[in-house]
Amino acid sequence: MLDKPASALRIRERLIESERLMEETGCYDGITELSLRNQDPLKFETLHTKLRAYCVSAREMARRISASPGVREVGEMVVAIYTPEGDAIALSNGIMVHVHTMSRFIKWMIRQGYEENPGIVDGDIFANNDAFIGTVQVPDVMDVVPIFHSGKLVGWAGAVCHELEAGGITPGGDVALAQERFTEGLFVCAEKVGQNDELRRDYVIRCERNLRMPIYWVLDEKAKVASCIDMRESVKALIDEIGLDYWMKISKEFIEEGRRAQLARTRQLTVPGIYRGHTFYGHVTAGKPGYQPLGDPDWLYNMPIEMEITSGGKIIMDFEGTQPWGYHSMNCTPAGMDGGMFVTLTQHMNFEGLVNDGAWMATELKLPHGTWTNPDNEMVATATSWALLLPAYGVFQRLLSRSFIARGFVEEAFVGQVNSPMIEMGGTSQYGSLFGMAHFECAAAGSGALAIKDGLDTAYVGWNPESDMGNIEIWEQNMPMVYIGRSIVPNSGGAGKYRGGCSFLSTWLVSKTDHLRLVTSEHSSRVFDNGGMCGGYPAPTCQKHRAVRGSNIFELAEKGAPLAHHTGTNPHRSELEVRLQGEHVTMEGPYITAPHKTGDVFTHSYNGGGGYGDVLERDPIKTASDVENGYLTREAAEGIFGIMLDEDADGYPVANIEATKRHRAEMRAKRLAQARPVSEWIAKERGRVEKADFAPEVKKMYASAMKLSPRFTKDFSTFWNVDAKSAFGVE
Amino acid sequence: MTSYSKEVIADLVAGTLPWPQTRRVMSAYKDDDRFFKYVAVLQDRVGWKDPILLPVSDHLFICQSGDERVTRCECGHSFGDYRKNWKLNASIIVRNTEETLREIYPNSDLPDPEWMEIREFICPQCGTMHEVEAAAPGYPIVHDFEPDLEGFYRDWLGKPLEPMNKES
Repeated sequence: MLDKPASALRIRERLIESERLMEETGCYDGITELSLRNQDPLKFETLHTKLRAYCVSAREMARRISASPGVREVGEMVVAIYTPEGDAIALSNGIMVHVHTMSRFIKWMIRQGYEENPGIVDGDIFANNDAFIGTVQVPDVMDVVPIFHSGKLVGWAGAVCHELEAGGITPGGDVALAQERFTEGLFVCAEKVGQNDELRRDYVIRCERNLRMPIYWVLDEKAKVASCIDMRESVKALIDEIGLDYWMKISKEFIEEGRRAQLARTRQLTVPGIYRGHTFYGHVTAGKPGYQPLGDPDWLYNMPIEMEITSGGKIIMDFEGTQPWGYHSMNCTPAGMDGGMFVTLTQHMNFEGLVNDGAWMATELKLPHGTWTNPDNEMVATATSWALLLPAYGVFQRLLSRSFIARGFVEEAFVGQVNSPMIEMGGTSQYGSLFGMAHFECAAAGSGALAIKDGLDTAYVGWNPESDMGNIEIWEQNMPMVYIGRSIVPNSGGAGKYRGGCSFLSTWLVSKTDHLRLVTSEHSSRVFDNGGMCGGYPAPTCQKHRAVRGSNIFELAEKGAPLAHHTGTNPHRSELEVRLQGEHVTMEGPYITAPHKTGDVFTHSYNGGGGYGDVLERDPIKTASDVENGYLTREAAEGIFGIMLDEDADGYPVANIEATKRHRAEMRAKRLAQARPVSEWIAKERGRVEKADFAPEVKKMYASAMKLSPRFTKDFSTFWNVDAKSAFGVE
Repeated sequence: MTSYSKEVIADLVAGTLPWPQTRRVMSAYKDDDRFFKYVAVLQDRVGWKDPILLPVSDHLFICQSGDERVTRCECGHSFGDYRKNWKLNASIIVRNTEETLREIYPNSDLPDPEWMEIREFICPQCGTMHEVEAAAPGYPIVHDFEPDLEGFYRDWLGKPLEPMNKES
């Protein structure tokens, strides 16, 4: 055990020493023995719980300062306490994505010599939203303050809020139209934005003059600073109580314990070996207004992931074979990839709450240089990183789940997440003022199924473990649209023995404005963005947008005639077309179009999760209840699951067990008759592969992957027994 | 140490454990004796005698079959050596037309079959659907899981497997 009281070293030297010790000993900061824990385990646990309580309490207090419904309603915030070197000791609940991204931000400032210039002194406030320094995307703005005690730097307090408006080329935070960094909005690049516990007036003025809705950003800044000061003062009081040397030792032991706990948990819950999976994402922008011709307009992304669980319990994720970065907003930095890993791990393996950067240290990400996971160009846009992050970490959830199933912890298996598409807007508000906002009801999509039950309906997203769609009335206060419907979408979960959770669709009437820009992001086109598991199907996640311009809704309302409240279940003719007159719009891909005005109707649907297990094993009784409650249609019950429903005396669906058995036997026989040996299929498909007889976007996807990855090329060539490079014209 | 009866584990695996109890199992410290009870529950479920070594999917198990270790369906059908991708010995249905995709997605917008197809991997004996892939046309079939079976038993469970007598 190396004993390091508050170090006399400059902080940059201390960071380098800490990393060297980790390299040499394999333990965080060279802590090979948890001596304080061994001396007094109860005190150890009590102090860690206290730190966590400081964080949780600071976050709850700060949410009341914020003006943003994203933070107040949905909880898009996290706070944490760090070591002087920037490693997370304890964190609150909330968007835990940012615990390690903030760590990268602090370390970046230390490495850049901030101790000399601009200086790090008591009362300073530093802010950042540059993903190449340490965050996920522009709207994730973080603030940190140093904690000094007895004149020495003894830690940091940090806070992140997701901003609903970032001042980019399109309104909102996840700036969908950004194709380069220069259109993403207001950047704050590891900047000292305050001194003596106060935000600088010139920084606030910059925010006020560069954002469509500065009240969100500026009050979030105040909320974050308040939470940081609250945590700082709590830590200082704790140090007064336990002594500075004790604090310096125990804060690091917490992290080493976190690292060991993660490794132990992996050995307890999983099985060592290699796990593989993949997913896809389609991006369709051809012909849409605003897109600059910087690259191909339509993209198909493949995301293959290989996860290794080593005999020591380390989890290694390798993204070899995925696509290059592109001129779109969906690229991700290593900090963002860390964030995806961290938030997934905290949900799936660290649910007891005492989690910190130690868990991250027990994992490794292999992010091929030049791909969307690790761009070799720092000018790329990352404003909608989640578009690719969510599918990627949905695969991670399925891979982990395979390991839980193998080990017997079936209750932890969880098919995972899909994208939670987002709608953002700006223009003239219902009050006649300039406004801009991201609508965060997307924080309550459907989850993937579990291995023992159906997924969660309208109650899950990967990036915020405390899902909440917010109250309709609050959203209506903040935008010039009123809800005319918020409905569960039947069959939106992937089918399976256990179905994926269903999602919902909102239908709005544009109200009291003549200029409302609506933009959507993070929804895949032409392909599903994630899968099912163990025989379950993927959820249908390539929904289009439907709108009506200049509708006759006010006339209908005046006459008391029925209105459209959702799009319905006929994919060929929506309820909007049935009920409303006007200019009907169906749009694939990002919704980027001319401004809307009062009387227009717009719909946006979120995604459900993938299914688990063979559909022919689904419980008929539960299915009857699903049909009654609108989670499944009768058509799906019979056609997909083979479940025959009758009606009771009151007209409610009831399962006909005998008819179901007969129907399922027929379906199984049909399956066996239709299926052919995989070897036959491979032999036939090989001819198509050899000729590269695919859509242009598919061909381009293969060629791009092959250019970047010899391993992908080799695996592809070996599987099909073809010369892949020659087939796809790769030099 | 947390521990549950074999009956509780059987109900949990079958999805029939009442939710309040399931919730407690999820929240509690994990039971370190789970694996062998789990395997015993599954062994009772299958109609064959080969010892299950590792479950790899809902109805797929790596088992000891004489001198070999194979991936076996719950119905008894063998997909061959567990180190090889069992999918290559399965049957397949591919949905790559609007008509066949519509059978599974009756009410939603469909993927473009030129960009994505649905592959169903089926046991040729009993017709159980073991796995579904959603992939771009031409994408190689994924080998989902290559467990370090011997390392798992030796280093993590502390019960080394008997060495295999022959290479399959």
